[in-house]
Amino acid sequence: MPGFDFSNYNRNAALCARGMSLPKATSTGTTIVGCIFDGGVVIAADTRATSGPIVADKNCEKLHYISPNIWCAGAGTAADTEFTTALISSQLELHSLSTGRKPRVVTCMTMLKQHLFRYQGHIGAYLVVAGVDPTGTHLFTVHAHGSTDKLPYVTMGSGSLAAMSVFESSWKSNLTQEEAIDLCSKAILAGIFNDLGSGSNVDVAIITPEKTTLKRNHITPNQRVPKLGNYVFRRGTTAVLNEKVIRKEELGNFVSIHEMTEEADKMEVDT
Amino acid sequence: MSLRIVPEDNHASSFSHIPSKSLSAPSAPGLHDTLRAGVGPSPHDADKAISAHPLEARLKSWEATREALRMETLRRTYGIAEPVRRGMELKIARENTWRPMCLSQGGKTSVHEEILAGRDETITWEDVFTNDDTSAFVSVQDEIERKLVKI
Repeated sequence: MPGFDFSNYNRNAALCARGMSLPKATSTGTTIVGCIFDGGVVIAADTRATSGPIVADKNCEKLHYISPNIWCAGAGTAADTEFTTALISSQLELHSLSTGRKPRVVTCMTMLKQHLFRYQGHIGAYLVVAGVDPTGTHLFTVHAHGSTDKLPYVTMGSGSLAAMSVFESSWKSNLTQEEAIDLCSKAILAGIFNDLGSGSNVDVAIITPEKTTLKRNHITPNQRVPKLGNYVFRRGTTAVLNEKVIRKEELGNFVSIHEMTEEADKMEVDT
Repeated sequence: MSLRIVPEDNHASSFSHIPSKSLSAPSAPGLHDTLRAGVGPSPHDADKAISAHPLEARLKSWEATREALRMETLRRTYGIAEPVRRGMELKIARENTWRPMCLSQGGKTSVHEEILAGRDETITWEDVFTNDDTSAFVSVQDEIERKLVKI
């Protein structure tokens, strides 16, 4: 059976019916935001990956490449966002080769929603799609069940409420690029400090018609400070009980030495 | 004919290893009676669901439903000739073509068929997770060699 494998589903259902407890659903946490400015779009994300109550990765990357002018921020199951964006990226490349045009953001969004709708939310990918194409600047959110939104500023993930509060209080139309980067960073910082599922650093991607700039670790508010104490001891902390000096010339008295030839010196290396 | 966009929700709420028509073994209720009814259903049967999971039934009938919708739309727009022509083209492309094992996921798909179905420029989970890791890799040269020896 290619694709998804359901062969263990019946066994698991039977075991569950006999009183075996199923694994608990893991709550996922992330803050991702996006914001349109005059002449482009900014997306930003935090860098914490959690697995239940454990921080699995303190500096993971949640901004995914789709095509040179379209990027995607992902929340939800990390593997699903990672793989879905990679798959759609390949599909979009094939599509643009077939049509001979630059990929459109709406095409990417439609592919994503059709793909996710087909799997009925079993693929847990919550995405913010942003990009600039010949038709203009676009910003979308795609939920795991296939619903989409088109807004000038969007937030997703468990920290979306904290991030949205920043946008709602200080967003204005006709932002400049610097203002948009600043606003998105502030929104992510609100998520980092107010949501337990988000943390560590701020990643930002700025997409303009000319180019895309990915600012990895744009702001690092949670730098680990050096420890106050350490276990490095001064030389001479422990007393020398006895000492014996052996010079290189008289080393032969203690061990047998064979001179290596050029041939034997060559190591066998698999290339 | 209906214009159904997605497969209807008709997955089984319960699952049995016994085919619906045959009886179970008298001595062992709930088990397939191999002596009376022959070998039971294979879990690798391509078109039959192997679980009661709603998603599996949906994915299994996804392509067929989409194809039926496409053909029904064509029939309403252009008349019966159009879907019939496409069906004939697909049949011609499917028959009498050699599909190299290493290019077609074990001889299941061909590029001509995919072009006719409009699937040649898509890539899905099935293309990536082919699940044929256990089967031996057969190169094109091996296959041609075997064909020549047979003649």
